Amino acid sequence: MGIISLEKLDHLYWLGRYSERAFTTIRTFMDAYDTMLDQDPNAYKKVCEKLHIPDVYGSKEVFIINYLFDETDPNSVYSNLSRACDNASVLRDMISSTALSYIQLALYEMVDAKKESFCLLRLQQVLDDLYAFWGSIDDYVESSACRNIMKTGRYIERLDLYIRLDYDRKAMELAYDRMAYRLQRSRAAYDENNFAIVSEAIKKGGNLCSILPNLNSIFKD
Amino acid sequence: MQDLIKYTDNINKLLARFGVKFGIYKNNVFHEQLFPFDAIPRVITASEFEEMEKGLVQRVTALNMFLYDIYHEQKIIKDKIIPEEFVFSSKGYLPECAGITPPGNVYSHISGIDLVQAQDKKWYILEDNLRIPSGASYPLIARKLCRIASPQTYATNAVVDNRNYGTMLSKVMNSVNTGGINVILTPGRYNAAFFEHAYLAEMTHSVLAMPSDLYVENSQVYYRAMDKPQRVGAIYRRISDEYLDPLTFLPESLIGVPNLMAAYRSGNVAIINTPGNGVADDKGIYYFVPAMIKYYLGEDSITHNAPTYLMYYQKDRDYALANFDKLVFKDVSEAGGYGVFFGRDLDSQKKADFIDLMKAEPRRFIAQEIIDFIDLPIMDNGLEVMRKADLRAFVLSASDSTKVWPSGLTRFSRNPDSFVVNSSQGGGFKDTWVLSR
Repeated sequence: MGIISLEKLDHLYWLGRYSERAFTTIRTFMDAYDTMLDQDPNAYKKVCEKLHIPDVYGSKEVFIINYLFDETDPNSVYSNLSRACDNASVLRDMISSTALSYIQLALYEMVDAKKESFCLLRLQQVLDDLYAFWGSIDDYVESSACRNIMKTGRYIERLDLYIRLDYDRKAMELAYDRMAYRLQRSRAAYDENNFAIVSEAIKKGGNLCSILPNLNSIFKD
Repeated sequence: MQDLIKYTDNINKLLARFGVKFGIYKNNVFHEQLFPFDAIPRVITASEFEEMEKGLVQRVTALNMFLYDIYHEQKIIKDKIIPEEFVFSSKGYLPECAGITPPGNVYSHISGIDLVQAQDKKWYILEDNLRIPSGASYPLIARKLCRIASPQTYATNAVVDNRNYGTMLSKVMNSVNTGGINVILTPGRYNAAFFEHAYLAEMTHSVLAMPSDLYVENSQVYYRAMDKPQRVGAIYRRISDEYLDPLTFLPESLIGVPNLMAAYRSGNVAIINTPGNGVADDKGIYYFVPAMIKYYLGEDSITHNAPTYLMYYQKDRDYALANFDKLVFKDVSEAGGYGVFFGRDLDSQKKADFIDLMKAEPRRFIAQEIIDFIDLPIMDNGLEVMRKADLRAFVLSASDSTKVWPSGLTRFSRNPDSFVVNSSQGGGFKDTWVLSR
């Protein structure tokens, strides 16, 4: 169904953002976990600092559990995935039960992962579910506007995280190109001034943290 | 069948994966829970279904005629078939609907008729649900998943395919659509039946609309779409009458669409099911359905009501008092399995209190003979046990035809001592097979 209400526009955009936030932060967590194994037990502190989230954890052991699974922590992976699932639930008629099921599966995997001492294999399954989710969006969602709005959200989130996490320039440019491509095909209204500021900054390179407010205001949800 | 049963856990996991849940409020907090599925189906033979179908079509046809009559000439009252005060004191009667003829002249597009099968195999109607009956989505999606889990079961058992519910429903919507898109109007994410609203929107290719997505201008209903407003021709609303339009019904409703009734009154939109249907599925009016069938169709009722007594009538009340412990009492203003209790379960104080209440508010209560309905097998921790179960049949009325969906929601009690099968009270569900032979 290709008719998109303003409320659904908002849900599509945030479904894209939260599913990407869960995806990229799991990958970030996995890297940090690896570093904390035998190199730097405090690597998690740098993750918190870069993501601009308060270090409420105090130790790597608490970080490993709470950053992933704490339902009461709005910054946890579980909370972000749960918000993705909430947004997907109200979009069933647009994204299909099949696509929705992969987000739901990812959330169930997180619940199961919490029960295990070493959860990386389960987290890999969550990533697989999220890949399957995006694959099924391409297959099942008829409306290109609908897909483009979701992907705009996805790539805005990706660029935001890549900037915060100080990814290399090439990765950021790629995320930007994808975001720009989807945004211009979304048929949704967007803030051209903020988009121009972000575009210019990406071309110039350097520290891009200052453009995060512009990036997050491009899409008029 | 054994092959299917051994996959029960897998099917339940698939149901979880597809988000097949229902919501429940406990202490004002919303919880979502899975609806436990038992893979042993209820089986209805072709000949049994044929008879049931005739009866249900007859019943729903008469109920639709009753609704037209009540909101127009009220002949059935003038001819003293149903007492006037019985109709107008019904909470479901809406004076605001008087004189309105809905598009296609259909009032109850989706009728959920609750039946039980007694030990002698006779089916009894327990109640008619003509407002917003829910439940079709559960057997609909369960069948799809069962066919994935155990395809061979369906190759050998001659089960009539029930996966056409979306098509049937969409035909109903199209038949009364006044020009514009079809929408399913949900109160929102935290409604008990939200899964069903969203799933049926997907299955009917309708738009799932939140109340804030709709507005009325010049007596036309529009959907606030991103590009330009879309005219709405049919609304399958899953919001109760009283919340539907704050300018006509409850002014404090935040989930209604202001002026929706004006658009409906002007014939510019179909509302599915129509407002005001509650007068026909009132537990008191139920008593009169066989008489209604005779009156409008000149036929004897094919379906059977459970023997029912209206506390409104002195004779019936005397009978109920004399046979108190043998009867089940129902508060006509309650639904969802609430307000139902067995006379035998009350202690002397509660019994005395209830009798006082019944005498003070006789219109509010009915009594019924307890039908010893058959138990169905369910799997409980690997063991087959017997539990009480009912059946909600779905009858779909378009402007030119009324059809029974060849399936239905079989709900069962998980408690061995309980007759209450409602999901809100912990019950589970089964698929309902109608055989082609």
